[in-house]
Amino acid sequence: MKLYIGGAYQGQEELARQENPEGAFFPDFHETVREAVLKNGREARSFAEEFCREHPEAVVIANEVGAGVVPLAAEDRAFREAAGRALCVIAGRAEQVTRCVCGIGVRIK
Amino acid sequence: MIVLVTGGSGCGKSTWAEKLVQTLPMEKRVYVATMQVYDRESELRVERHRKQRADKGFRTVECEKDLANAPIEDGSIVLLEDLVNLTANEMFDGGDPARIVPAIRNLAARCSHLVMVTNDLFSDGMEYSPSVQEYLRCLAEINRQAAEMADCAVEVVYSVPVALKGELPCV
Repeated sequence: MKLYIGGAYQGQEELARQENPEGAFFPDFHETVREAVLKNGREARSFAEEFCREHPEAVVIANEVGAGVVPLAAEDRAFREAAGRALCVIAGRAEQVTRCVCGIGVRIK
Repeated sequence: MIVLVTGGSGCGKSTWAEKLVQTLPMEKRVYVATMQVYDRESELRVERHRKQRADKGFRTVECEKDLANAPIEDGSIVLLEDLVNLTANEMFDGGDPARIVPAIRNLAARCSHLVMVTNDLFSDGMEYSPSVQEYLRCLAEINRQAAEMADCAVEVVYSVPVALKGELPCV
């Protein structure tokens, strides 16, 4: 499993597709977590663990969403928290984590 | 050793900071808790952190404000969590944020290890009310001073530690 992250529109998806032409891509994974946790009531970590079991070869692409002032709306706070927890699990399982800023990838794991 | 740990919300900063402390001696571990509990959400957060730290040998010192007078013995191994709450409490609850940096300096000088957790609140591109902007400016300054004091500053990115300053400690 590989994880590509970065702020919004930082080129993580393009880089992931370039570096893994044959990959099984899961783009916008933070939105997948939003739906699983906020809409379908899943627990963030167990959702991510299940995902890892089912897709051990996935190339996961996600935004970093936690680097701002704590949002006023409870739902926004819950989303950031869920995305953080789930992506910690994914990063833990991934053999490679790449962070993208201005289209430039930095391998952090 | 003085270490500053930063990162976004929910990214595993506390977990990493606790793991770091576990590599240090078992004696005199002090957890400085700064969060005010005012609703169910903060109760749950405190509960989660407590569970996470159970059996790691920490004595908990509640310190919502006035770090200089928190009962912390010399030679302690201190995990201060976190500068975000401490700054907010000093600023919005009748304290004085200007006393934070001197208190950290004093603590750093007299404890054997100091691990400080803060948070990256600065990259959402939003314009907030003047009081929140002032809070951000103030916290950013405290973070910068803390990083300057630190032997090592680490950003935790979705559980992955990235060294910003100094060598990454092995946890």
